Amino acid sequence: MTPIQPEISDKRAETITKTEELAYELRIHEVMTKDVHSLSPDIKMEEALEIFQKERFSGAPVEQDGELIGILSIEDLIHALRENHIDALVREYMTTQMTTVRKHDPVVEALKTFARTNYGRLPVLDENGKLAGIITKGDITNGLLKALQRNYQEEELIRYRASHLFEDIVSGRTSLILRYDIRKGDFIHGGNASSNIKRALLRLGASPQVARRCGIAVYEAEMNLIIHTNHGGTLRIEIEPHKITMEAYDDGPGIEDVEEAMRPGFSTATNEVREMGFGAGMGLVNIKRCVDEMRLISSKDRGTNLYMIMYLNDTDENPQTVN
Amino acid sequence: MKLKKLIELIEGNLLTDHSTDNIEIKGAMGADLMSDVLTSIKPESVLLTGLCNPQVVRTAQIADIRAIVFVRGKNPAQEAINLANEENIPLITTTLGLFDTCGILFQEGLPSFETQTEDDCAP
Amino acid sequence: MNLEEIIHNLNLKVLTDTRDFSAVPVKSGYCSDLLSCVMTGAAPEGVWVTLMAHSNIIAVAALLDLSAVIITEDAQPDEDTIAKANEKGVTLLSSPKPNFQVVGELWDMGLRAKQD
Repeated sequence: MTPIQPEISDKRAETITKTEELAYELRIHEVMTKDVHSLSPDIKMEEALEIFQKERFSGAPVEQDGELIGILSIEDLIHALRENHIDALVREYMTTQMTTVRKHDPVVEALKTFARTNYGRLPVLDENGKLAGIITKGDITNGLLKALQRNYQEEELIRYRASHLFEDIVSGRTSLILRYDIRKGDFIHGGNASSNIKRALLRLGASPQVARRCGIAVYEAEMNLIIHTNHGGTLRIEIEPHKITMEAYDDGPGIEDVEEAMRPGFSTATNEVREMGFGAGMGLVNIKRCVDEMRLISSKDRGTNLYMIMYLNDTDENPQTVN
Repeated sequence: MKLKKLIELIEGNLLTDHSTDNIEIKGAMGADLMSDVLTSIKPESVLLTGLCNPQVVRTAQIADIRAIVFVRGKNPAQEAINLANEENIPLITTTLGLFDTCGILFQEGLPSFETQTEDDCAP
Repeated sequence: MNLEEIIHNLNLKVLTDTRDFSAVPVKSGYCSDLLSCVMTGAAPEGVWVTLMAHSNIIAVAALLDLSAVIITEDAQPDEDTIAKANEKGVTLLSSPKPNFQVVGELWDMGLRAKQD
């Protein structure tokens, strides 16, 4: 990247930090050029020149039998032209002393390499040492800009909007309701709803601890709907500025003895479910430990309702009298 | 411990698209019961497990687990790998069993990262 | 290595009838919470580390001639399970520590998994 030294205002500083973060987060394979046109070492420099002109290349890797053996750049072509040797083979003029980067490395590794060397492009290798693509400074700039835009426009905006949701709306009682239908026996998608709920809570500005505790509670409840119900059930999450109410309900078969169901280790799960890592009889116990309030209401005919409540004021750190 | 070093110690194989140099693992837990994992694992730890279904990745995402090691040479399905890439959770597989995996990492000083259970499980 | 040394070093609680544990050899270790894995992976005269406490573990331990089962995290088997263990001659030990820690301490004593 051409070193740009803009005047750093506070507004800019924020962007710069974000860019630096992205340089560590983004991986090389996310920004590199993947469909690389590589050259055979045995074509003439003249042919390479034609390809470069036609395709507007300023450089290309040279491969033989699937192995990267060199890289040919415009400078090499100029070199051959100067020596009046344009009918020489590519292998005679290509650069064989190559610095490469690995596709899973963060983009910042490529930036460091560009800063250290004078190369304009770097071959990118996969885990088997084969050519996976080419990265240029331009690729990095584009990739960072795209990611920055994406990050800002999507996540930051969503986060900002979401966390100010309640401030913007004036009503007697504002709440946001999320609802998910959970199908009996759907182990493949088991946890998707909880995962979305956790993400929603984070976007709404909940602390990571609160989001984690709610996520765990609602995940156990979701797995219970998948494992123990007749037809599945529903997860209903109501988010209010001061509390989160999570409810899991189904239409049967109901719990015979609620007290017994709450005993650690009590389980009616089949061996098959146990072999999937669930049904150890800890789910309800776990939920109780995670949330501030829990109620389990069940009857043989009407199914089960599980209420889980989490309060969002900072009474945990700061005990204060609640009116 | 850096995830990169952890992978070397257990002769593991990284299955997801991650760079492991800068991922710090603060502790470990070895278990196959997801409810137990959800109850007791602390964030930023590695989960060592013999289970190998997408639920393990979901559990990790919900409980803020930093990485998962599948023992006994188990390979998760592609959908689990895709999910792990999406959720940014490195997946590692090793041919070692859970016993040796725990032993090696413990001996290298990785602490147990499980909160001791409270009175709930006592008689 | 014998079971007495392990009980002593790891400070384990003996849940079943006591006997001369110094005469019980321990040749390998195994750790899993999945019965199907234990069935295929644990070797005779080994110790099995698990946080499962339900009665299915007794049948598996007896079938495989394990030297002992170490139940972690203070998980408590019920009375019927303990009675069944005594009847089948299975030794149940208990620790408040999690799997990872217990296995680590066994490994420190020099115990390894069975090599296939």
